[in-house]
Amino acid sequence: MLKPILLVEDNPHDLELTLIALSRSQLANEVIIARDGAEALDYLTCRGPYAKRQAGNPAVVLLDLKLPKVDGLEVLKSIRSTDGLKSTPVVMLTSSKEEQDLLRSYELGVNAYVVKPVDFTEFVRAIADLGIFWAVLNEPPPGSARYVRPPK
Amino acid sequence: MIQAPPAPSPFDLSSCDKEPIRFPGSIQPHGFLLCLSPARRIVQASDNLAAHAGVAATAAIGGTLEAVIGAAAAEMLLAELDQDRLGERPAYLATVQLPNDSWFDVLGHAFDGLVLLEFETIARTAAATFRDLFPLVGEFMQQLPAAPSVEAMSQTAARQIRKLTGFGRVMVYQFDRDGHGHVIAESRDADHPSYLGQRFPGTDIPRQARELYTINRIRLIQDANYTPSRLVPETNPLTGKPNDLSFAALRSVSPIHLQYMRNMDTLASMSVSIIVKGQLWGLISCHHAAPRPLEFDKRSACEQLGQVLSLCIESREDADDLQFRLDLRRIMVSMLAGLTHGADFIDNMSQVFPELLRFARAGGAAIVVDDRLIRFGNAPDEAQIRALVDWLGVNSHDDLFHTDHLSAAYPPAAEYVSNASGLLAMPISRIHKHYLLWFRPEVVHTIDWAGNPHEKDGAQNLRAQLTPRTSFASWRETIHGTSVPWRSGELELAIEFRSALLGIALERAEQMAELADELGRANKELEAFSYSVSHDLRAPLRHIVGFSNLLMESDSDPQTRQRFLANIKDSARLAGKLVDDLLSFSQMGRAALRPVAVDMADLVQGCIDKLAGEVGERKVEWRIGELPVIQADPTFLQLAVYNLLANAVKFTGQQELAIISVDASVMDTQTVFRVADNGAGFNMDYVHKLFGVFQRLHRMEDFQGTGIGLANVRRIVERHGGRVWAESAPGEGATFYFSIPNELDS
Repeated sequence: MLKPILLVEDNPHDLELTLIALSRSQLANEVIIARDGAEALDYLTCRGPYAKRQAGNPAVVLLDLKLPKVDGLEVLKSIRSTDGLKSTPVVMLTSSKEEQDLLRSYELGVNAYVVKPVDFTEFVRAIADLGIFWAVLNEPPPGSARYVRPPK
Repeated sequence: MIQAPPAPSPFDLSSCDKEPIRFPGSIQPHGFLLCLSPARRIVQASDNLAAHAGVAATAAIGGTLEAVIGAAAAEMLLAELDQDRLGERPAYLATVQLPNDSWFDVLGHAFDGLVLLEFETIARTAAATFRDLFPLVGEFMQQLPAAPSVEAMSQTAARQIRKLTGFGRVMVYQFDRDGHGHVIAESRDADHPSYLGQRFPGTDIPRQARELYTINRIRLIQDANYTPSRLVPETNPLTGKPNDLSFAALRSVSPIHLQYMRNMDTLASMSVSIIVKGQLWGLISCHHAAPRPLEFDKRSACEQLGQVLSLCIESREDADDLQFRLDLRRIMVSMLAGLTHGADFIDNMSQVFPELLRFARAGGAAIVVDDRLIRFGNAPDEAQIRALVDWLGVNSHDDLFHTDHLSAAYPPAAEYVSNASGLLAMPISRIHKHYLLWFRPEVVHTIDWAGNPHEKDGAQNLRAQLTPRTSFASWRETIHGTSVPWRSGELELAIEFRSALLGIALERAEQMAELADELGRANKELEAFSYSVSHDLRAPLRHIVGFSNLLMESDSDPQTRQRFLANIKDSARLAGKLVDDLLSFSQMGRAALRPVAVDMADLVQGCIDKLAGEVGERKVEWRIGELPVIQADPTFLQLAVYNLLANAVKFTGQQELAIISVDASVMDTQTVFRVADNGAGFNMDYVHKLFGVFQRLHRMEDFQGTGIGLANVRRIVERHGGRVWAESAPGEGATFYFSIPNELDS
C-alpha cells in the first residue's frame, strides 16, 4: 500500500546516482521515473502514455530544477494549479544554489528545496533522508487518493 | 509664445484716450450737415445752416429738404436717395446749386437710422468729374511695384499725393510695435520744414483715433483755426444720443489736435490710412501751413492711392517675409541634418553652432542640459547663464521666451547688455530646465524725436497734460540695452525648430530604449553565465565525485565498474566542454567583428571536414547548394555554421541515413541561409527556448550538449545585424535559418 516516488530527472548520471542512493535507503516504495517536465506532467495527470495508469498521486515528487522542454519550476506551478494535485508534496532537487531559484520555488509552493551535495556520502544521505521523510514519516494530505500497487 | 512686457512708456497722455472723438456734437464749418429721418424730414442740422443756406437750423427742423435748399437741388438729391444705395461710407450724391447761388458737393451716408447729408463748399460751379483722376491712379499703380523697397514706394506715394493735392508737405509714417510713428518718406516744398527720419511718440495719436483711422481711411482738416458748428438739436432725435460721426467727412476734430496743429505751424492737414493685414500700419500725412480745402474727388483719389500703397506694402512685406523664412528654413534644415549624425545630442548641437547663430541672427548661444553648459560666441558667462536659466524656469512656461530688452524684464542682465540685450530662450525639454539660448548684442541707436517726448511726463498738472506739446524741434535720444527685435518669422521658425528637436530627442530616446533592451539581454546572458557556472558546472563535478566513490567501493562487478569509469570520463569531458563554451560565449560579447568577404561554400566545407570526427561511421548525405560570398567575420561565422551543422549531425543520430542540406537565397538587403536535417526535430511549443543560453530541448542521454551552441549561433548572427529562427515538428527534422545583411554597419 505504499505510494510511489516520482523522480523527475533528465541527467542520466544524476539519475543513476539518485537511484543508487534511494536503493541504499531501504525504501520499499516504487520509483517512477520521468525524464523531463512534460513526461512528469503526463504521469501526474494520467495523460498520454500514462492514460491507463492506476489512479493516485505519488507520495512525493523529487523534481530536478533544470529540465528540457518544461522545466522544474513550470512543473511545480502546474502541480500547484491543478485540482487533485495541489497538495502533493514536491521536493526540488537541484544543483543550483541560486537565490532566485530558491525564492521562485518557495513562491510557487515547493515543500522542500534540496541542493544536491557534491560529496557522494552526503548525497546518498540527503536522498535517503528525503525518501524516508516524505515517503514514510510524512502523513500524506487528507483526501489524496490511496495508491494501490498495480498487479505485476 | 511669451514676450517680455514692454518697459512702461514714459510718454503717457492717457486722458487723450478718453476723448469721445466720434461724438464731437459738431462739424467743421466749411460745409453744413442735414440729417433726414426715414420719411425724408429734416430732423437735425448744423447751426451754420443760416450762414451757408440762409435758413436758421431751428427753422429747418421738421421741414423738407426743398424748404432749405430749393426745389431743384432737393429734387436732384431725393432722386439719388431714392436709388437707396447709401451705406456707412459717404458717397458722392451730386453737386448742387442753392437758391443763394452757392455751390456744394453733397455726400450722403446712412448711420444710426438717419441719412446724413454733408454739403461741402466748392470753388467749382459744375458737377465733380473723376475722369482726370484715373490716369493718376493708373500711373501710380505702375510705379509702385517697381519700387525697390517699402520706403521707395512710400516716397512715390508722397510725391504723387503732393502733386495731386498741392499740400506743402506729405509724409509717410510707419508705426512701430509700440505705436510710435516713424517718418519713412517725405515730399515737401521749400516752405515746409522736413520731418524725414523723425519719430512721433505713440501718444500723438491716441488709441481711439487709431481705431477711427482704421475704419475711416481719410480725414481732412481744412483750417485748424475753425470754429466748430454745433448740431441742432444736440442729439440724434431717433436715439436720443450724440450722433456718431465716425464716417462724416465734416466731423469736427479734437481741440487738442487743433492746438497740436497750430503748434506745428500747420493749419490744414489730411491723413490717409495705410492698412496692412487689417492693422493700421501707418499714415500718409499731409500738412499745409495755410488753410487748404480739398474737394471730394481729389480726396477720393488720395484714398485710392492709399489703398494701392497698402496693398503694395502688404504684398512686399509678405514677399520679404517669405524670402526671410525660406532662408531661415534652409539654415534650419542644414542644422537638423547636422544634428542627426552623432550619438550625443549636445555634442551635435555644438557642431552646428555657426548655423545656430545665423539662424537667429544672434551673437552668442548656449545650451544648458543638466550640469552641462556649452557657450558659443558672444554669450554671458557660465554663472550668469545659470542664473538666467533659473529665472526663466520660474518666469516662463511656454514654447519660447523672447525679448529685445532683457534687462528691462530681468534686471541682473544689465551686467551684460553688450552681449545679451536680446534673448530668445527655447526650452528643449518638457520636464527639465533644459534650454537653448540665443543672445543678441546691444544695438545702441539714436532716435530723432519730433520734439522731446519726455516733456509730456506726468510731473505736470492735469491741465498741462491736456495741452499738446509745443516743440517740434528735433530732439535726439540714445537708446541703450536693446537689441535688434525678433521677427515673427524667426519666432515661428524657432518653434518649428523646437518641435523638430523634440522629435530628434524622442527618436534618440527610442534608440536608448532599444539599447537598454539590448543591455538587458546582455545582462540576462551574464546572469545565465554565472548561473551555469554554479549549476551546470557543479553537476559534472558531482558526478565525477559520485562515480569515483562508487568505483572505490569494492563490491561492484567489473561491468558496473567499467560503466562508472565511462561516466567519470564523460562528466570530465562535459565539464571541459562547458568551460570552453562558456569562454567562447563570453568572448563573443566583447570581441570586435572584423568583416571581410567570406566564401560561404569554402566555410561550410571547412565545417563539414571538421565534423568528420563527430560523424564517425555514420552515413551522412550532405546536400550543399550554391553558396554566395558575403561580408562577415569569418572566425565567428564559422563557429555559428559549425554549431548548426554539429546540431544537425547530433539530432540525426538515430537516422540510418542522415540528410543535411545547406543553401542560401540572396535577397535585396540580406542573404538567408538554411540548414535542414531529417533528424528528431522538436516541438515548436518550445521554440522560444531554443536559442536561449543553457536551454536544452532534449534529454541529456539522447543528445549530449552544453546548451550553449545555439545561443552562440544567435549571438554571432545578431552581432552581424541578422536574425536566426527555426522550424520543426517532432520526428520530421528541423530547419534552422539565419540571415546576414548584405551591407554590414560597422
